[in-house]
Amino acid sequence: MSRLPQDLEARLAAAAPAGVEFSAETDSYGVTVAWCGLAAAADLSPVAALLKDLGARLSMITCTMPSAPEEEEEDEDDDDSEDGEEKAEAAPKETPKSFGGTPLDGTSYEIDYHFDIAGDALTVIAYVPQGGGIPSLTPLFRNADWHEREMMELYAVAVTGHPDPRRLFLDASVDGAVLERLVPFSTLVNAASTKGLWERLLAGKKGAA
Amino acid sequence: MSTHNVPETFSIPVGPLHVALEEPMYFKIDVQGETVSHVDINAGHAHRGIEYLTTKRSMYQNVVLTERICSLCSNSHPQTFAMAAEKIAGIEVPERGIYLRTVADEMKRITSHLFNVALLVHLVGYETYFMHMMQVREIGQDMLESIFGNRQDIGAMCIGGVRYDLDDKSIAYIKGALAKIEVEVQDFIKTFKTNGAILRRTKGVGVLTHADAITCGVVGPVARASGVDYDVRREAPYAAYDRLPLVVHGATDGDVWSRAMVRLEEILTSIDLLRVCLRDLPGGPVNINDRPDIPPGQAVTRSEAPRGEVIYYLRTNDTPQPERVKWRVPTFMNWDGLRFMLQDAKVADIAMIVNSIDPCLSCTER
Repeated sequence: MSRLPQDLEARLAAAAPAGVEFSAETDSYGVTVAWCGLAAAADLSPVAALLKDLGARLSMITCTMPSAPEEEEEDEDDDDSEDGEEKAEAAPKETPKSFGGTPLDGTSYEIDYHFDIAGDALTVIAYVPQGGGIPSLTPLFRNADWHEREMMELYAVAVTGHPDPRRLFLDASVDGAVLERLVPFSTLVNAASTKGLWERLLAGKKGAA
Repeated sequence: MSTHNVPETFSIPVGPLHVALEEPMYFKIDVQGETVSHVDINAGHAHRGIEYLTTKRSMYQNVVLTERICSLCSNSHPQTFAMAAEKIAGIEVPERGIYLRTVADEMKRITSHLFNVALLVHLVGYETYFMHMMQVREIGQDMLESIFGNRQDIGAMCIGGVRYDLDDKSIAYIKGALAKIEVEVQDFIKTFKTNGAILRRTKGVGVLTHADAITCGVVGPVARASGVDYDVRREAPYAAYDRLPLVVHGATDGDVWSRAMVRLEEILTSIDLLRVCLRDLPGGPVNINDRPDIPPGQAVTRSEAPRGEVIYYLRTNDTPQPERVKWRVPTFMNWDGLRFMLQDAKVADIAMIVNSIDPCLSCTER
């Protein structure tokens, strides 16, 4: 039996006028894990306010860049909207879209807000296109602070209205958006290597792309 | 009053390398005389980019990598990661594996809690008792080494179960070691309730109120000592916790002493849970004895590490490497609580209060 409110889906839909994509699953231990995709990232703030009222605890924020599907095969992304006919009819190069229409071409962001409600888990998913922004949840959930600061240094995603948008772990001298770049392993571990090796590797990388 | 032109407010650095701090965190502390007036926390001294590395390793290699995120909760990371992979792939862990996972988890909890409380006594300045507590912890460390072949990274977990097994001889050995630890921990609790030196330094010091604990979203013993009655093992059970007599300990004062007491009481509960696990240990295989491909999907899993809730988010695709692995460790949440605990504290208590959240920086920064 789920500890999430019975009418949670309806209340989330009421808070997010652009639409939600809700699913929930209860495991054999009786723990429910629910997912709520938002059609518009701007609906995040009212949804978060609703969850705050419900006594939810913000547990984690995950930012990802869903990779572009490979061109040869039909890559069925889990977070894709279910309208498969659009994909089938479209030209092979047609970019798949998230629920809500953000292009999933490898440059968009998916930001997952993992909440705990009385022991059950609810993940609210917002999609942000490259160059877009997402409202900060820190004014509502104080503990979003570090998550959002970490997100801002790992990705080039803009978090608007963050009260203290300093670097968290990375020094200011390090270029931003480190997870969007190829960082050679020797750079990552601060090790030395010959220049020739890297020129060969990077040339090979370009050839493969 | 002062006739000298000396400012009353100073800004002092504590860390990142400091004789009394166990972890390389930099605190910029404004003091007024001997009293802390403002705390700024500056992180980033142990950032290793493990989140990036996970996407370059296969799912099965990541079980090994995640174990190396932290040493004291080294069992919780691969376990929660494996739980996520199992959820995506629909893998059922055999019953014996489920119990053995719980056994490994609780053994690690005992030694982790003992380490933290012993360090607290060290920071109080009661060195003989500190050494005695570390000696007792050695019984637990010897137990880990004897069963798993290693004292910290015990390598017990794999996707689909565990990588070790117990026989009658090892079960008898564990029971013997637990009996020794139990007597000593009961003694620790008595000491903590009566010893003047410990009480004077820890009672009413570093208070985190219930309301602030909720606001900061702190987890684990830090939350429970401030009256937040939450334990993942009870709230969102996994492994064998749904069929064990789990007692969740709490306190309401939210001070350094309460946090230590919660940990000491949890050690006794861990011993009880271990005894039930060893008594009820079902037969059969310990893992699925297979390495299936993990299909594309996503999962969120949680477990109660010694320091509190660990949450993993895993997204897989068609490749052997995961597309994204993200996790949040309890200490990541608990640092913020320090701003409240250190407010108006004495400079001499800073290191002790920092220790009372059982901080783990290698976990926090990954």
